[in-house]
Amino acid sequence: MGLKRYVAKRVAHAAVVIYIVATVVFFAVRAIPGDPARVLLGGDANADAIAALREDMGLNQPLYVQYLRWLGDLVRGDFGQSVFNDQPVLDMLLGVAEPTASIAALGMVIAILIALPAGIVSSVKRYQWEDYVATAVSFVGISMPGFWIGIVLLLVFSARLGLVPAFGYVSISEGIVPWFKHIILPAIAVGLPYGGILMRMTRSSMMDVLNEDYMRTARAKGLSNRLVLFKHGLQNALIPIITIAGILLGVLLGGVVAVEVVFGIQGLGRLLIASIERRDFPVIQGAVIIISFIFVAMNLLVDILYTSINPRIKYGGGE
Amino acid sequence: MTPRTPTQGSTREEPLLEVENLRTSFPTDRGDVTAVDGISFGVDTGEIFGIVGESGSGKSVTALSILGLAADGEVEADAIRFRGEELSTREMSAVRGGEISMIFQDPMSSLNPVMTVGEQIAEVVRHHGEVGESTGILSELRRKYVTGTSDSSRSWQRAVELLDTVGIPDPEQRANEYPHQLSGGMKQRVMIAQALAGDPSLIIADEPTTALDVTIEAQILNELFELRDEFGVSIVLITHDLAVVRETCDRVAVMYAGELMETARTETLFDEPTHPYTKGLLRSIPRVDDDREWLNAIDGTVPDPFNRPSGCPFRDRCDAAFELCSEPLDRYDATGTDHEVRCHLQHDAVDIDDGEPVVEGSLHSRLDGTETEPLDERSGVVEPGGERQ
Repeated sequence: MGLKRYVAKRVAHAAVVIYIVATVVFFAVRAIPGDPARVLLGGDANADAIAALREDMGLNQPLYVQYLRWLGDLVRGDFGQSVFNDQPVLDMLLGVAEPTASIAALGMVIAILIALPAGIVSSVKRYQWEDYVATAVSFVGISMPGFWIGIVLLLVFSARLGLVPAFGYVSISEGIVPWFKHIILPAIAVGLPYGGILMRMTRSSMMDVLNEDYMRTARAKGLSNRLVLFKHGLQNALIPIITIAGILLGVLLGGVVAVEVVFGIQGLGRLLIASIERRDFPVIQGAVIIISFIFVAMNLLVDILYTSINPRIKYGGGE
Repeated sequence: MTPRTPTQGSTREEPLLEVENLRTSFPTDRGDVTAVDGISFGVDTGEIFGIVGESGSGKSVTALSILGLAADGEVEADAIRFRGEELSTREMSAVRGGEISMIFQDPMSSLNPVMTVGEQIAEVVRHHGEVGESTGILSELRRKYVTGTSDSSRSWQRAVELLDTVGIPDPEQRANEYPHQLSGGMKQRVMIAQALAGDPSLIIADEPTTALDVTIEAQILNELFELRDEFGVSIVLITHDLAVVRETCDRVAVMYAGELMETARTETLFDEPTHPYTKGLLRSIPRVDDDREWLNAIDGTVPDPFNRPSGCPFRDRCDAAFELCSEPLDRYDATGTDHEVRCHLQHDAVDIDDGEPVVEGSLHSRLDGTETEPLDERSGVVEPGGERQ
């Protein structure tokens, strides 16, 4: 099976996953206690006004009608309007996607830059001081929640040292340096827990690889230690690491949501939380769909990467 | 160390590889385990030298120790000489893969699953041959992860040639394949090609056919034969299979519990086995014309490595054990040329009387560390059935 057919098949799978997520979210948000019309009009609004607004918002129709209508719109790319400010949901989501994507991407880069070298050193120097230091650092990363790391970073680097701004976000289109200064702390905050887990994975995966027969073969060829490690070992060690990295993306994205709140960044996470508070159904649904789309897309990417890094895996299996 | 006595009719040159008193132990939680306990042997140019023994007797560890590949093992030796020169650890790592190469037991796991077989051979060519291609870490990593190995590079072409040499059909295409795309026999041929890529004078083959079925085994052994005949390489063949030894080896050493019990020319060993352990091994080979329903096994088990008996490690299982067996072993000449046995039955002062070994007077002076050279010419009956020349 060729790459194209494999991708097509996986995209079809992804569409099914996203449909299921969307459906679950649709019914879940309606199961949350609280009426959007009441929230919108305030606690002391009179019953008639609320009833009129409910009628207007289509909330009085049977659930299945609402569902089918919403699904029909969704298929046409229409995410609906926010009940809070009448803006198109898609525009709202795209407007806040950039900061979230920036933090997630930089966080991932930081995590990988820490985890891979530390994990490799740790496995090669196992049970020596390098290993103990790396392991201690990774456990600190794993044990602290991202938002708490964010608060500590804020206190030290913004409040105390004044090196970077504490709040908000500047688009990358306004310059790389200010953009970087605004997202570096949140990125570290989400990257450390993720990197900590990844480092432990790298360590154990590399240790397995170091004991493999083919590593002994490589040494028997008279290759230098570094060549044995990086030419013969690294790619084999990466196979399980990449799998885990893809699955853990969910952890990373979850971290971004919380960290955005700490750093006062208008991202997808904050929009989602605000929308839940004001029962803004269309925005909640849209945000969750976008997040699940990102997650599915990244995992698809990981799987494609996986097939290219592991020649034993063929696209989609059987010939 | 007692020098090897030149025996009559032997015109032996200096051995290609000479190992003197090799000892390897592995630290464990329960204390050190001695896997190889003071073995010595030499391998001549163009010779196939077999090391035979049960699983766990230390055959593979011997090979790995010589090459400096015994991972956590502590290796000591009075000398490991190659072409008459003693090799330091550093020198050994330069020779490894080139002058001395190794074929491993399990071709399924000994080839790198994420590299084409062509590249796995070509990298040896680059490192040990003179093809003028950079072997720096950056060039190697670029080749591995970015550009791939060029089909027109000399190292790659040599790899294809070697695949052809070891009898892989369609070598140009096969070179671009990954190990999982090849059969077990083909993988072992790739291992052999890889071992040949550095133009070795000595190949250490550690159970090269154990993981293969019998027909493939015969082909691979033939391959090794041809290598010796065509390129004059010496081969150390490690195996537990006495039939393989008989068919392939010029000389053979029998290993038991980390020690070499008997070393002899193959015909001598099979025709006139001297050590009780060797005899037991040969008796345990099932024969086609034998209609008995049981196999002759040697009673007992290999000694606990944490609790090795003093003296001869085989004495608890040995029919011929006698009072001397708990004393430290020595090497003795036995019948024929180049025949060495580590068994006190061969001692001068031991006489066989009615099948029972009898120790005569001069023995005790030897045990005190004075007198007696165990390797001198002896006279008289050594053992019933053992013919003297």
